[in-house]
Amino acid sequence: MANPIKPDRSVVTTCAYCGVGCSFKAETYQGKIVRMIPWKEGKANHGHSCVKGRFAYDYYNHPDRIRTPLIRKSIEDPWQEVSWDEAIDYAASEFKRIQDKHGKKSIGAVSSSRCTNEEIFLVQKLVRAVMGNNNIDNCARICHSPTQFGMSATVGWGAASQHFDSILQANVIMVVGANPTEGHPVFGSLMKRRIREGAKLIVIDPRRTETVDSAHCKATLHLALRPGTNVAVLDSISHVIVREKLYNEQFIRARCEWEEFEVWMGLVGSDRYAPEVIGPQAGIDPEAIRQVARMYAGGPNSAIYYGLGVTEHSQGSTGVMCLGNLALACGMLGREGVGVNPLRGQGNVQGGSCLGSWPHVFSGYRFVTDPEVRSSFEGDWGVPLDDEPGLRLPNMFDAALSGHFRGMFIMGEDPVQSDPNQHHVIAAMKSMECVVLQDIFLNETAKYAHVLLPGSSSLEKEGSFTSAERRVNRVRKVVEPLAGYQDWEIVVKLMNAMGYPVHYDHAGEILDEIARLSPAYKGMSFDLLERIGSAQWPCDENAPEGTEVLHTVKFPRANGRGTFMLTEYVPTIERTNDRYPLLLTTGRILSQYNVGTQTRRTANSMWHPEDVLEINAEDAHVRGIKDGDWLSISSRFGVTQLKAKLSKRVNPGIVYTTFHHAKSKANVLTSDLSDWATNCPEYKVTAVEVVKAAADTQTVSSRKIEALEETTA
Amino acid sequence: MWAELRDLRENIDFGTPPRSGTEVTITVDGVAVKVPSGSSVMLAAAKAGKNVPKLCATDTLEPFGSCRVCLVEIEGRRGYPASCTTLVEEGMAVTTQSDKLQALRKGVLELYLSDFPEQDIEGGWSEFHNTLQQCGVSSHPYEKGDHHQDAPVDESNPYFLFDPAKCIVCSRCVRACEEIQGTFALTISARGFESEVAAGPNHSFFESECVSCGACVQTCPTQALVEKSLFEGGYQRG
Repeated sequence: MANPIKPDRSVVTTCAYCGVGCSFKAETYQGKIVRMIPWKEGKANHGHSCVKGRFAYDYYNHPDRIRTPLIRKSIEDPWQEVSWDEAIDYAASEFKRIQDKHGKKSIGAVSSSRCTNEEIFLVQKLVRAVMGNNNIDNCARICHSPTQFGMSATVGWGAASQHFDSILQANVIMVVGANPTEGHPVFGSLMKRRIREGAKLIVIDPRRTETVDSAHCKATLHLALRPGTNVAVLDSISHVIVREKLYNEQFIRARCEWEEFEVWMGLVGSDRYAPEVIGPQAGIDPEAIRQVARMYAGGPNSAIYYGLGVTEHSQGSTGVMCLGNLALACGMLGREGVGVNPLRGQGNVQGGSCLGSWPHVFSGYRFVTDPEVRSSFEGDWGVPLDDEPGLRLPNMFDAALSGHFRGMFIMGEDPVQSDPNQHHVIAAMKSMECVVLQDIFLNETAKYAHVLLPGSSSLEKEGSFTSAERRVNRVRKVVEPLAGYQDWEIVVKLMNAMGYPVHYDHAGEILDEIARLSPAYKGMSFDLLERIGSAQWPCDENAPEGTEVLHTVKFPRANGRGTFMLTEYVPTIERTNDRYPLLLTTGRILSQYNVGTQTRRTANSMWHPEDVLEINAEDAHVRGIKDGDWLSISSRFGVTQLKAKLSKRVNPGIVYTTFHHAKSKANVLTSDLSDWATNCPEYKVTAVEVVKAAADTQTVSSRKIEALEETTA
Repeated sequence: MWAELRDLRENIDFGTPPRSGTEVTITVDGVAVKVPSGSSVMLAAAKAGKNVPKLCATDTLEPFGSCRVCLVEIEGRRGYPASCTTLVEEGMAVTTQSDKLQALRKGVLELYLSDFPEQDIEGGWSEFHNTLQQCGVSSHPYEKGDHHQDAPVDESNPYFLFDPAKCIVCSRCVRACEEIQGTFALTISARGFESEVAAGPNHSFFESECVSCGACVQTCPTQALVEKSLFEGGYQRG
């Protein structure tokens, strides 16, 4: 018979891939997941899906999944299978031993945006209430930490001002450093729908992305700027808006700080930001800058969507502020169809950001130094809390190398592959005495771990995710955890073993605790999500079912007004020279997700079996490079090998790759430069040279790293 | 566009997208129902709890009017208009069930069945099967003539397959690829009896522009486009 089997059960849950937060019905037959069907009532996807969420779920049952806890005394030893109790007790005793010997602050944790809100909240509680310090960071450090900083500074909250559907009211859509049709495909489809209805599209991106130019999606204006010149170009757009008086004076007077606006006008209005000055520096036509400014300011509804192409720079936070300034100056905030919206890479980056996975703030971005806030947590948790901000992730690695930081709990992250300057990270990992990794696979970081706690995939647990549109969606258990426990249960075990008794009957009680201690989540509960499906924060007594559009009446700042930040352009010190004449920038492809841990274990690899280096024909020609040649790519930090793909998507002087495959080692090349405010790494700009390589070696060498490794051996 | 996306319901297919407009009242089989102007008769009937049988219509896609199953009678109008492409008007009186309508729908469905794999008529659970059941049709009176039962199955995509033997050329897949995904990878090639769903000229699904979003599979009413994961041990005809 060619009739398909009929699933016998279904559970509505949330996709764990990108930050769009699509709702799916996971259908099972005799206890096994047989398909994922996009849920029509999902507020983000309205029944649509992409190749990742719809089809690439089989990783959950992959033979590589770890099913038993593992420990070893030294990373030279083989792994030893142990019981849960033994693994947890070993991790707890090691952490306590290290703290006794090296002090309270000698350990810390990193949590993951692939975990639920409940798990993220618990990990920071583990650090603050049990370890007794603030050494907690999360992977948003390396992607959207500048969003949190830059948007808070201008409009008050580091979060998308809109819901995704708002784009259907936009007349001008400005995409900066993002490629939604590849990175956020379901939102990309919504955007294309609006473009087919006649909205204009502006793209600011070094690469002629699929968003700029594909069969049924064409940008009206594309600024193919040189990587690293975002702030200069955005300031230049502001220059035109100021000089041509395209700003919305009524909005600014009513809703913003007028004096700050005048100061800002003085900066961006100065001659040094004129398109005729900036254009040549950024490699774009000055007239195009003017057209973008007029189109954006003209609206009537203009909406900004941006991605890591804005944040992952040494001026990442400044770039985000530029976007906030622009929207405020043109009155493009506080209603549907406008706004400033980060497109978040991982399913729960917004949740990770909101829920206190930062060394300096509790949930709701409230400072650990604030005694009043601290006492509310101390009251609930029953222990005194540290008032000194902790270490950021890169600082944890630095401190590990200098011997001050010796133990780390890593939940669902792979810093060895995903963090910049890989050799530095490896040396730091090697210098620690106890690295406890909770993950579903043995990832690259596992090579340097002492305890491996087998985690559960999002299909195996209860909880919630907060998507890029601030929407809290329920994650529901479809199948039993392969290794026996949901991730939050494992963290609870560790907390208990470290001497902090705590108990939750189910994950909903953790969300209740979050609601109790975080103003924006005050009204959230499993009951509410059960009843209305999902809710966008802020959700409280004033907005019992959540808030779609932010800033409609005032901005969440002390005086209720938006403000303008001074965004002077300071070029990165990572520059091309004779030895490294090309600029490497990185991005994503539709079929693969992030470092590929999940998607590489599915048939999605049929579309993207390997990362390649896109290079313009002109640059290839002078180097004797042909399509498909193996290349050796070297930067000031390391060397790696990739195959060449001659492409018109990049301009001469620019090369581009993705980082989905571990063997590509793209992050061997990237620098250790980072955002001045948040330490978000400058992944998007690396000076490199490219030469033809003899064959496929994909091995790595770097003098700098070898030296580092020697010092820590 | 606005209301269209946001008023979707999991367990009800209104047949055509919800609209936002001033309210219009009509009666469907004697039941009065209020719907926004611009709504289809099909949507109004669904709101009145009178589901009209349908194949090419679904509330995530614009109406198309090709399957001829959703015919209704409207007081004061001649013939049997398709309820998916007919818009409501104030005071309209619609009949969705009559002997004549039943006979017309049966005739159309029998024709579809005459070119559907015989062994799969029983035991299926697709929208097509549900519509057959709704209209009380389980067989057809036709001799075996020209048919599409031997057309090759496209199994190039790792996740789903396309079996032209089950395709009724309703164009829902083509429209989903355009309207929902915005990729425009699919088309209907040739005309009349020869017409078939194609992923571009001489391209398999995998070689085509298809981005494997699954929108076509999701909307296919006959499971001609279907997830491979629903077949243990691979797909086999007959």
